[in-house]
Amino acid sequence: MVLLQPDPFLNELTNMYERTKEKGSVWVTFKRSSMKSKAKRKRMESAGEVIEYRCLVRATDSKKTISTSLSAKDYLRFQASYATVLKAHMNALKKRERKDKKKSAEGEKKPADQSKLVSKPNA
Amino acid sequence: MVYIDSWDDFVERSVQIFRDDPHSTRYVMKYRHCDGKLVLKVTDNRVCVKYKTDQAQDVKKMEKLNNIFFGLMVRGPDVDIAEVTGKEPAEQQVSKKGRGRRQ
Repeated sequence: MVLLQPDPFLNELTNMYERTKEKGSVWVTFKRSSMKSKAKRKRMESAGEVIEYRCLVRATDSKKTISTSLSAKDYLRFQASYATVLKAHMNALKKRERKDKKKSAEGEKKPADQSKLVSKPNA
Repeated sequence: MVYIDSWDDFVERSVQIFRDDPHSTRYVMKYRHCDGKLVLKVTDNRVCVKYKTDQAQDVKKMEKLNNIFFGLMVRGPDVDIAEVTGKEPAEQQVSKKGRGRRQ
């Protein structure tokens, strides 16, 4: 497991998305972590010290795993860049056709309709 | 594995799971470009909720959820969730947008 800085992590994540275009999956996991061992954490808690929590982000394409740890200072910038990476690569999903208000033949739109079209009637 | 049909329900339940156990809760996202499928999972190793989709519009919703989780995980489970604009005060948000436009 390679621990990287946020920017190299994003670069490597981009490469993972590129590599798995034809085959494979990309898993990204977020977890809250203090990056300290359990024993140390317990000691700090009983000593009354404030534990600084970070957001641990891991990514894997089942061949390689990378990770990075975000603090309160970095996370906003990372969040924006991460969103950009996702938007650029997650384009294999189906686009919803707005004209489907009339054509209710496509069943797949139902879950989408429930959440999005609250006021518009489903023709 | 529980698959939730409603997005809003999924978001509410996953935030609840996180608030109940912020230390063991993790948020997992799996994306398969070849199948055009996206699956989200939130679990604390006891309770698990999942959401699967093949719709492009869910990417935007997932981004908002990502932002919610980033905020919760870094700042703590007691943070108030502002679904759209994030947890920063309005001025900081505006300046961030400003920087983006100039670029």
